[in-house]
Amino acid sequence: MAAHNVKHALFCAVVTLVVAYPILGLNLVAQGTRVGLEGADASTIIIIFLASVAVFAFQLYRDTIMASLSKAPRLNPLAGREPMPQARRVKLESWVLTGIIVLALFWPFFVSRGSVDLATLVLIYVMLALGLNVVVGLAGLLDLGYVAFYAVGAYTFALLSQYMGISFWMALPLGALFAALFGLVLGFPVLRLRGDYLAIVTLGFGEIIRILLNNWTAVTGGPNGIGGIPEPTLFGMEFGRRVKEEGNTSFHDTFGIAYSGEHKVIFLYLIALVLAVITALVIRRLMRMPVGRAWEALREDEIAARSLGLSRTAVKLSAFTIGAFFAGFAGTVFASKQGFISPESFVFLESAIILAIVVLGGMGSQLGVILAAIAVTILPELAREFSDYRMLVFGAAMVLMMVWRPQGLMPMRRTHIELKRQE
Amino acid sequence: MQDLLYFSQQLINGLTIGSTYALIAIGYTMVYGIIGMINFAHGEIYMIGAYTALIAITGLATLGIAWLPLILIVALLCAIIVSSSMGWAVERVAYRPVRGRHRLIPLISAIGMSIFLQNYVHLAQGSRNIGFPALIDGSFRFGSGEGFQMSISYMQITIFITTLICMTVLSLFISRSRIGRACRAVSQDLGMANLLGIDTNRIISATFVIGAALAAVAGLLLGMYYGSVDPLFGFIAGLKAFTAAVLGGIGSIPGAMLGGLILGVAESMTSGYLSGEYKDVVAFSLLILILLFKPTGLLGKPEVEKI
Amino acid sequence: MKTSVKKLATAVGASVALMAAGQAAAEIRIGIAGPMTGPVAQYGDMQFSGARMAIERINADGGVMGEQLVGIEVDDVCDPKQAVTVANRLVNEGVQYVVGHLCSSSTQPASDIYEDEGILMITPASTSPEITQRGYELLFRTIGLDSMQGPVAGNFIVSQNPNRVAVIHDKQQYGEGIATAVRDTLRDAGVDVAMFEGITAGDKDFSSLVTKIKQANVDFVYYGGYHPELGLILRQARQGDVSSKFMGPEGVGNKDINTIAGEAAEGLLVTLPPSFDEKEENQDLVAAFAAKGEDTSGPFVLTSYAAVQLIADGIEQAGSKDPFEVAKALRAGTFETPIGTVQFDQAGDMESFEFVVYEWHTDGSKTPVN
Repeated sequence: MAAHNVKHALFCAVVTLVVAYPILGLNLVAQGTRVGLEGADASTIIIIFLASVAVFAFQLYRDTIMASLSKAPRLNPLAGREPMPQARRVKLESWVLTGIIVLALFWPFFVSRGSVDLATLVLIYVMLALGLNVVVGLAGLLDLGYVAFYAVGAYTFALLSQYMGISFWMALPLGALFAALFGLVLGFPVLRLRGDYLAIVTLGFGEIIRILLNNWTAVTGGPNGIGGIPEPTLFGMEFGRRVKEEGNTSFHDTFGIAYSGEHKVIFLYLIALVLAVITALVIRRLMRMPVGRAWEALREDEIAARSLGLSRTAVKLSAFTIGAFFAGFAGTVFASKQGFISPESFVFLESAIILAIVVLGGMGSQLGVILAAIAVTILPELAREFSDYRMLVFGAAMVLMMVWRPQGLMPMRRTHIELKRQE
Repeated sequence: MQDLLYFSQQLINGLTIGSTYALIAIGYTMVYGIIGMINFAHGEIYMIGAYTALIAITGLATLGIAWLPLILIVALLCAIIVSSSMGWAVERVAYRPVRGRHRLIPLISAIGMSIFLQNYVHLAQGSRNIGFPALIDGSFRFGSGEGFQMSISYMQITIFITTLICMTVLSLFISRSRIGRACRAVSQDLGMANLLGIDTNRIISATFVIGAALAAVAGLLLGMYYGSVDPLFGFIAGLKAFTAAVLGGIGSIPGAMLGGLILGVAESMTSGYLSGEYKDVVAFSLLILILLFKPTGLLGKPEVEKI
Repeated sequence: MKTSVKKLATAVGASVALMAAGQAAAEIRIGIAGPMTGPVAQYGDMQFSGARMAIERINADGGVMGEQLVGIEVDDVCDPKQAVTVANRLVNEGVQYVVGHLCSSSTQPASDIYEDEGILMITPASTSPEITQRGYELLFRTIGLDSMQGPVAGNFIVSQNPNRVAVIHDKQQYGEGIATAVRDTLRDAGVDVAMFEGITAGDKDFSSLVTKIKQANVDFVYYGGYHPELGLILRQARQGDVSSKFMGPEGVGNKDINTIAGEAAEGLLVTLPPSFDEKEENQDLVAAFAAKGEDTSGPFVLTSYAAVQLIADGIEQAGSKDPFEVAKALRAGTFETPIGTVQFDQAGDMESFEFVVYEWHTDGSKTPVN
């Protein structure tokens, strides 16, 4: 054991102590009208101390530990296997997807209302993540203000229904198109910025939209938000207890069944499911079309792609607009599900969460994104007892995931032509 | 005359805020200049600096020490030590393992770190706004007895002077010292610097430590100037400082100063002549406009596309 | 195929309803929804502690119609999205009564669900007037409205004969609502409102705003919002030599403002509900809270207590656990609660809710102003 190692380990242990003790061990508390200092209880101090000892021990034997870890048999039993032949993999994937969709269609009839509602939220995130996937995963444009388009979609529906009485089905395409228009208008000037400049500008744009929605009280209601957003109807049938709009009938009266709030929740879920499937299918198609290839080409090597005659602006703009379009979709569904929207639903953290879903899922991969959306939305709900630690764990998980499995849960694999091997 | 006084007062308010933005922006710009990543957790380091300073000040008050220079020096040292350690640890844990991967990976890691640190302080210290004692009180006044009086508080002057000292020391450090030279070499070409025998890992750690130390100074100053701390305020300030860094041209230290000052003045002028509601809108719009006409910021080097 | 799915759905719906009924036979479940985590968790704590105490005491007295109350606590983080999620979960739990939510922006979307599901809801803390303007049958509140508090503050300012007044708010539902009401009252009385503008909640730098207040030369500043921002404004105003009088709503009236503003908090005027915990008849209750180590001085502790008690009294009066019957009973009767005699109007608001103007002091105490 080299002396250098001891020195380094000691340094790390001291840093752990310095980083943990003042913040965890000394608590600022309001004592009447003054601020006082209180030491934390003994267990916290012991934990801080133990953590620092653990860091010391780990750093001291780091090389040995790492070596024995890499020698140990891989935990993953599939690690050594041959990759599945492409044709079989594609087939399997489409079977799995079909299975999931069929399951998703019937599942809500057997579970509780809360679960269905949560599943609707998951589907909204799936739509958002699939849309952002086009921008970030496929076209490689880092968009930190994606939530702006989501907000545009939601507010388009809310405002149209409030001022013009437009129904969900009318607003769905309008909201999406309007969001797409925003994407186009914003994208046009900013897409010549590179990488991280684009990131900060989109972030700024997201904030601007939110602040404007919050300040334009006369139209958007400002911080009061907009309430009374109608739910979707089924051929003019409403799902509420009472019919709100004239000319509509209520679902339970038409079919002569007892009123149940479940109908509405399940109907909304099914709409979200259909829209999510449409989103996935459309993007899947696009990925295989020339424009999809162009996105990836531009992401991989901009200069090479341009020299092959691709228009940088047109390709980037198409990705941006299509991403915005699906965010608008999701926004409309969200507004309808909530019945009430206000600017506080469209903060930067929301953009970060959607981005996290895309990255956790494996950039570019659809199945991965769907799995990640489920994980990110449901895990915090399951861990409600630890609600205090929810966001702490979420942040730590993002870091650890990037360190250990940066390619995501299910990394994207491109379809490719396999050359016959020369025997 | 009245209007001029009012204008000068808003200008001074803006320059004060701007110079602290600049202090925080240094951390972003140096890290970006060297490893090309946005250190999203930097705002949290600043917040932790402010908390540590407050803990130190409260601790000294409990011990009954009331001699101002001692309190300030101890608080400053504590804040710098804890923040720098934090900066070092964050780089070690969250950024070094992902260095050199696709540029989205370190960014996500940084956002995760930012969320983690926010909640770390939130859990340890609670979500309340905690008052920060005003240690330096009082102000110079200008203007006649009637009408608008301009006042420059001692705190504002302290902020100016401290920022000026920090910037000068940093510039000298970067241009004269061995580590500073190594920093510049690494930022120009990391691989080449490595080949020339520079311990790049150490230099990158040093960058994080320097950035964190400056953020801690800003934390103490702003804590006293504003009057309270809470676990979320680092994020907002970080966002502004980052905007300032981009505005001035990310990677450039004079750019960070210029960007910070411009942003601060733009904000205070918006609040002063328009409405405080729109100050963030103006700040971000300014950023977008400048980037449209000068895509690498005011003092940034034009990027050469390499084939 | 289609009909079979529908049948299935109906069957599932019916069985859920049955299950809910089965549970309700043994006990009366009351959902308590508010923030346990997040930035306003401290107000949520007040709500939970008040409701818990009420449930405990009512159960100790033999419950309601011989049945025990059971509180089911859920955390909405004051986020509208989470509020909908927890509202649906409460529906799942077979809850028929809800005390909550805290933030108006959470109460609004959640109440849509409760109204649709036939769940009676009493909010002890949401003050936005819009909530009860939607004609909901099962929605009540045990707190005053922004539109009641604003005029009280406005009339007080008018009575001080100021030359020019500035009205500032934090661009949030609560703050802007009250500030707008204050401004309208002032304008109607012919007072010159020199400034009406918003700030960003969570911001810390108010030097520009303070300079602007000074330039406008106002002698009275009303701030609609919460204490973290007003505390800073007070402090920075003092540093910037602003000598105007400041006033705020109940959201600024807690001791935390003293830790932030220090001496600058002296003389701040606050409109608050009368201190229920100082009333003679509540001393017994206050002692019970104190025995548990809980504080009753927060504005939502006793309003939450009253909300639970009203549900219990409503059930007794109606002689039925059907929320619609209970709602009718609540609208019809008058009830004695720790927050005074409660009588509801058609919208579900209290007929009268008093606000008192207090003067705040550096040591966190307050004295009523006449």
